[in-house]
Amino acid sequence: MSFWFTVIRQVGRNLRMTWGSQIMTLLTVSLSVLIFAFFYLIYTNMLHFGDKLGNDLSLIVYLEEEPVPEMQQQLISKIKAFDDVEEIRFISRAQAYQRFASQLGKNQDVLNDIPKDFLPPSIEVVPMKNLRSLNQVKLFSAYLARLPGTTKVQYGQDWVERFYYFTKLLSIIVLLSGTLLILTTIFMVAYTIRLTILGRQAELELLKLVGATNNYIRTPFLLEGLFQGILGSSLGIASLFVLFQWIKLHFSGPGFLNLFEFSFFSPMVGLTIIGVSILLCTLGSYSTMQKFLRI
Amino acid sequence: MSKTAETMIEMIKVSKIYPPDVVALRDISISIDVGEMFFIIGMSGAGKTTLLKLLCSMDSPSKGLIEIGGKSINQLKGSKLARLRQKIGVAYQDFKLLTDRTTAENIAISMEVSYKKPQMIRNRVRTLLEQLDLADKHDTITGELSRGEQQRVALARAIANSPTMILVDEPTGNLDATTTERVMQLLTNCNKAGATVVIATHDQSLYQHTSHRVMELRKGQLHALAETGGKTS
Repeated sequence: MSFWFTVIRQVGRNLRMTWGSQIMTLLTVSLSVLIFAFFYLIYTNMLHFGDKLGNDLSLIVYLEEEPVPEMQQQLISKIKAFDDVEEIRFISRAQAYQRFASQLGKNQDVLNDIPKDFLPPSIEVVPMKNLRSLNQVKLFSAYLARLPGTTKVQYGQDWVERFYYFTKLLSIIVLLSGTLLILTTIFMVAYTIRLTILGRQAELELLKLVGATNNYIRTPFLLEGLFQGILGSSLGIASLFVLFQWIKLHFSGPGFLNLFEFSFFSPMVGLTIIGVSILLCTLGSYSTMQKFLRI
Repeated sequence: MSKTAETMIEMIKVSKIYPPDVVALRDISISIDVGEMFFIIGMSGAGKTTLLKLLCSMDSPSKGLIEIGGKSINQLKGSKLARLRQKIGVAYQDFKLLTDRTTAENIAISMEVSYKKPQMIRNRVRTLLEQLDLADKHDTITGELSRGEQQRVALARAIANSPTMILVDEPTGNLDATTTERVMQLLTNCNKAGATVVIATHDQSLYQHTSHRVMELRKGQLHALAETGGKTS
């Protein structure tokens, strides 16, 4: 009889003997993986969305008066003195009026009685892609506000700040659910293996007496943890995938969710989560063996 | 071949003291040859079971040296200890059966740890059950067997792996005369096949007319050693 044949038979016997607690552990591992992967999926999608928003980010500097060409050059050099930028566009009062009118579309009649120079001139500054953190954008905005002739700088501060704090909160939730995943998988697997060891105390004692090697006795328990990891995490990821598809199917019409382009994990990320879960479960069973299975 | 090579068991001034100061064995020195059948007799509490436990490495001596097949077993650990135990078949006084498993599974366990082939294990289990008149108990849970049947299952497990040394503790304690004869015949066959057999018993009928050596223990000490043919030292 080969070593692995015997070991797998022992694993099957263990699973049969403690199937109740095994199922509980499996569900706990699956749920932990599902919770972690769920938040991680939202987090990665938010980061992706943040990147996309960053690409469209521009700062609008409102000016008191339309700058003459010479002053435009001075302003350009002052703006570039802070950092390189991708683009600087000067918008005159007339251009601003035209833009506003075209945005109003059919309702542009409302502008009939209003003078065409009522909108302030402005500069649209598109920062470089490396200037994406909230603090840097804030610093740049403050710098632009100090330029002579500037009345106001806008870049959708409130929205950007809210988005930034939301992703920060998500990163904390991801960290917490990751910790939950680590604790539950290690403790639950360790607890189940401990139950199995206690339930098979007489047999393990006998196995030692008839000459079973350490590997013969310990490997089935390690494999048990490994199986819990493989099954539990695969079940968790599969459930998330089903949930993801369901949400996509039912909320794909026009609405808030349509603003985002949600995408599932790459196979590599999924496999990494499964791999880490397997490692944690095996660690749980190993720690119990070290404690309760001294041979 | 040197004397050491022919000796299966060598015990030199072996003592076993359980805390705080209960002396189970004191200064036991004995040599048992390869292929010998050897009886250890004495009343309950004389130290027979302790001596067998030391021989199978289930317990370690407080003092003295124990060698099996020329190798000291005092410090054996890990896979070396496991390999030694695979060569020793032990029928314990309390049987140590897995009472939630079948008779066949209990016997097979000693062969499984040596990775014997499943077909070979099945054949060996059937043969042993027939020899011990337990053929109809193949699939019976051992917890449902009588004491006498359990005793025979424990013996079958001890000899199943064809060990080079067989240690038997009170092999006939729960058996009738016919079954006792059957059990002794099985042990004799193992001995004839080359195994060293050590039997601890207080059943006079087993050793009264034996041609093998008999050692008597009293209060943990070697009281008398009857050499082959009845000579006493």
